Amino acid sequence: MVSAFRPSALGEALSLMGERRGGRRLVPLAGGTDLMVRWKRSGGLAPALPCPVVFVGHLAELGDVRIEDGSRNAGGEGGAGRGARIRIGAACTFSFLLSHPAIPAPFKEIISRIASPAIRNRGTIGGNVCNASPAGDTLPYLYALDADALLQRSGGIRALPVRTLITGAGSTARQEDELLTSLEVPQAPFNVFFYRKVGARRANSCSKLSFLGLARVEGGVVADIRMCFGAVAPTVVRSPEIEESLKGREIREVREGIPRVVRSYEGLLKPIDDRRSVARYRMEISLRLLEHFLGFELRDGAAMQHNAVHNRAHGTLDEEQP
Amino acid sequence: MRLRLVLNGRELHTETDPLRRLLEVLREDFGLTGVKEGCGEGECGACMVFLDGRIVNSCLVPAGSVDGSEVVTIEGFKGTDRYRMLEQCFVEAGAVQCGFCAPGIVLAAEAILRENAVPGEEDIRRAISGNLCRCTGYGSIVEGVKLAARKGNGLW
Amino acid sequence: MRETIGNPVDRFDAPDKIGGRAAYAADLVFESMLHARTLRSVCPHAKILSIHVPELPRGYFVVDRRDVPGKNRVKMIADDQPFFAEELVRYIGEPILLIVGPDGGEIDRILSSIRVQYEILKPVLGIEEADSLGAEHRFVEYAIGKGRPEKAFAEASRVFEAEYRTGLQEHVYLETQGVVGTFDGDRVTVYGSLQCPYYVKSALVQGLGWSEDRVRVVQTTTGGAFGGKEDYPSIIAGHAAFAALKTGRPVRLVFDRHEDMRCTTKRHPSLIRIRTALDGRGTVSGVEVDIRLDGGAYEGLSSVVLQRAMFHCTGVYRFDDVRVGGQVLRTNTVPTGAFRGFGSPQAVFAIEMHMHSLAELLGEDPVDFKLKHLLRTGDSTVTGGTLRERVRMPEMVERALDMSGFRKKAQDFRRGNTDLTSDEAATAFAPAGRKLRGVGVSLFNHGCAFTGSGERDKIKAKVMLRKRADGTVEILTASAEFGQGPSTTLRKIVARTLGIPVSVVMCENPDTDRVPDSGPTVASRTVMIVGKLLERAARDLKAKWDSAPEVETRSEYEQPEYVQWDQEAFRGNAYPVYSWGANVVEVEVDPLTLETAVRGVWGVYDAGRAIDERILHGQLAGGVVQGLGYGAMEVMENGGGEVLQASLSDYMIPTSLDFPAVECALVENPFEHGPFGAKGAGELAFVGAAPALAAAVQSAIGLPLRRIPVTPEHLEEVTRGASSSRAQR
Repeated sequence: MVSAFRPSALGEALSLMGERRGGRRLVPLAGGTDLMVRWKRSGGLAPALPCPVVFVGHLAELGDVRIEDGSRNAGGEGGAGRGARIRIGAACTFSFLLSHPAIPAPFKEIISRIASPAIRNRGTIGGNVCNASPAGDTLPYLYALDADALLQRSGGIRALPVRTLITGAGSTARQEDELLTSLEVPQAPFNVFFYRKVGARRANSCSKLSFLGLARVEGGVVADIRMCFGAVAPTVVRSPEIEESLKGREIREVREGIPRVVRSYEGLLKPIDDRRSVARYRMEISLRLLEHFLGFELRDGAAMQHNAVHNRAHGTLDEEQP
Repeated sequence: MRLRLVLNGRELHTETDPLRRLLEVLREDFGLTGVKEGCGEGECGACMVFLDGRIVNSCLVPAGSVDGSEVVTIEGFKGTDRYRMLEQCFVEAGAVQCGFCAPGIVLAAEAILRENAVPGEEDIRRAISGNLCRCTGYGSIVEGVKLAARKGNGLW
Repeated sequence: MRETIGNPVDRFDAPDKIGGRAAYAADLVFESMLHARTLRSVCPHAKILSIHVPELPRGYFVVDRRDVPGKNRVKMIADDQPFFAEELVRYIGEPILLIVGPDGGEIDRILSSIRVQYEILKPVLGIEEADSLGAEHRFVEYAIGKGRPEKAFAEASRVFEAEYRTGLQEHVYLETQGVVGTFDGDRVTVYGSLQCPYYVKSALVQGLGWSEDRVRVVQTTTGGAFGGKEDYPSIIAGHAAFAALKTGRPVRLVFDRHEDMRCTTKRHPSLIRIRTALDGRGTVSGVEVDIRLDGGAYEGLSSVVLQRAMFHCTGVYRFDDVRVGGQVLRTNTVPTGAFRGFGSPQAVFAIEMHMHSLAELLGEDPVDFKLKHLLRTGDSTVTGGTLRERVRMPEMVERALDMSGFRKKAQDFRRGNTDLTSDEAATAFAPAGRKLRGVGVSLFNHGCAFTGSGERDKIKAKVMLRKRADGTVEILTASAEFGQGPSTTLRKIVARTLGIPVSVVMCENPDTDRVPDSGPTVASRTVMIVGKLLERAARDLKAKWDSAPEVETRSEYEQPEYVQWDQEAFRGNAYPVYSWGANVVEVEVDPLTLETAVRGVWGVYDAGRAIDERILHGQLAGGVVQGLGYGAMEVMENGGGEVLQASLSDYMIPTSLDFPAVECALVENPFEHGPFGAKGAGELAFVGAAPALAAAVQSAIGLPLRRIPVTPEHLEEVTRGASSSRAQR
């Protein structure tokens, strides 16, 4: 019979994670919005999780958001060691993040598209990362910002870039005795933000595909640019090489190079046919969004241009002025 | 697992399989059948309850998660003045047909009114976006909430 | 000003529902109640070679075909479906046996340890495949016609032909199917979520092989139905009854959503070909329609769905030379059944899109083109009946166009879209807010109540009213409340006629021990037919009011004299009267993602007269949104016979954010044989939304659409190669 544990503090949770019960390691459960569906049985029955559970959603140590200042390098390759970093506890719910002043507006925009109010009140960022769904909504942003994941065990702590933590569709490099305790998101100044999540309806819909574009344009030159595609490959697609090739260029040059960039990404996206959509549509629209981002959204602008472009309910569509 | 919770204002101690869904605990152990199963996967909102003041889908909440928490179901909410106003306004707006979604929607309406006493059309639609209704097309529900906000002077 | 009946009253059932007190099937608790779950076929077509059920723990039972005391056939229009599979299984999900016992977890364990050996047979999946295999894959085939269509085609100046396709649709009543069966040693009683207590009773009588007095059916508070609880509950009522009989204990059988979506009836997918001849003056001179419906594995009531599709396939138009052929095909998929509209949504989609495309072909305004062909009072219908009623459509259409600003929008959008698509770089480099815009209109009607002489020959509805000593009056009919309002509207009719307050009129959920058979709660007949009978019984009661402390009156259906119907030839008045409607939908299609946003929806309806305006508006708004779902997002596909979208996270019904509020206007057109002039409205509400949406999208993208739902994936296919495609640049 599967058992479950409710530790009163992080230390106890980590110690439990280090044990075996009935020959199995424990699986952490925070909000449960993924696990309770994945393992559900027919109506009226408790879910049939394959391992004992350790409840972590209530742990205060995991429910915090803090801004940490620049100097410290959290280690691991690729982490942007300088500049402020936001440390987000893994058990922070989406609702909590939406109401927290330290969470940047683009990330809030993305989080607000997740599921529904009741799901957002329970679902956590840690759960979204560890579930590692190809369509995980927080993942494109975490990849784009070179976020790190902090994994703890009784014996110690290590940091891993999120893109390294996630090894494939639904799989991560988290060891069985490790708990994801927080995400560290380096901050960088962007003044262009474009995000589209295409679902099957306007609320409570898994992503068929998503595109995230962030950039800093100064004096007509692209100083920084990040582009991520979600739900069109086993993991988020991001190409630092392609981004590098665009950095330092004038917008005009970037636009002339759009066909080449599109062709490059076309080789990287691997969308599939499934119950929700077809590969052809996913590829076509992903590339249109990319083109649109490079061809239109990438503009010289002073303040953050908040292009909230995923259609809101009729009547109050945010039609941004060019 | 032994659990302590405050359910509809009463402190209770119970013992149950910690992975049992809160939905079953409420319906079977406490007879609170106003909390309904419509899908079992958090899509329809018929199982909605307040957990520590926030709406959640009780079909996705394992019992072990609610130790030390406060749970309010439609049965607990319905003794309040706010509920009475919402009920009256829902009836007036024609917001109830088959009724299966109604308890969940009332709680979602309460949730938005707590946050914003004068919600607009968009705010209301977003607030109930996790509650499926197949009968009304939502228009009358939105009108019902608007009406409650207008008439409920000082309630929220 | 005299208060009219239409003025809303507070619904009687609302407080209990909102407060969570109303008891639905899953809320019922009986002492020593057991639970039942069904073992189902995992093959779409197979011979069952063996079933191995392990030894069951004490208190657990198997219930299968051997436990059916009567006939192992579910009584429906065609009795071809068994309660439990016999030698063959014909669809994935077909019931084979039940496991019954006290603990759900144990039942689950037992079910997964049962071994069934199948010999796989070739499944037939899809309309085209079934069609190619000949008569044995056809459940029914009909043909009707009038005039001389061959002549019209021979003399035509132009012929236009197109094929239209619609898919499965799932009801998604929020409350899943559920029943409880009990046996007291002599009689079986089934409580359940259902539309037609007497249909269930007949099915139980046939399945048990008992006399009628030993069977009782009681409707519980029902959380939505839409036709999905018209025929289906008879199957599970039988299951629960056989289980109660075998175990001697009450047995509850409730589906969870996944099981409900995998196994219960759905709307018939359709393939409809329309061929029209145009004369030299740009008028349609001849029409040929071929309708093919997918009936799934068993016929059930598909023959009547086909009939309605055929009787509605010429829409609201006057065509003198018509031929209509129809077939229901048999496939190894979940049996299809009743769903709001019952064949007419498929047919009306096809004819409305066809008329729209014809207008485009001729360079005419679609609205004017449709109005030019509109039926008028005195015209002959497709079955050769005479349209007696006043047709208020021209003014209704004008009103809908006014409310929506249709004409100006159509003009402005045409210009705007040309600007957008003619710019080669538009879609990539235009601001994200630029959209392709369109408005579409649909004209439609819906025949009220049963086809032809069904009311007179099949149903023979009876109602009763009982005045009690305390002055209250009880309504006794078999009409089921499942959200559409009869527990309020029928009370209003009776109260108004008697001149007493509506609060002293009682109406409980029907119990076959107490109520006469007033017929099924289907076909938009409840207010019009049952309500009329109640009005008559009430007048009778009024006259006899003081004759005794308790008085009972009855009324039985009488077909109005003018209804002439030949059921063999399908000729005459297919319906005693029609309700009419016009919808306008305004859309924006995003050229980047090809998602369609609905910006406005308008409807103008003639349902005779409103018995309660609030309830009627509720039905109209709800029907429209359900229809928009059908037209825009509800994709349900079959993959090798398996329903691919069998959960609410995969099957998309509209949320509160998907469509705007529907603006509805009512037009009065009293029907002399309806109570206070009322006609039917529940299905009318649904029929026009999807065609209006599709027409709007067709206008927006400037390319013909021939199928629903109009998903972005489909639009990508359709627009591929057109100037807005990225590939062209």
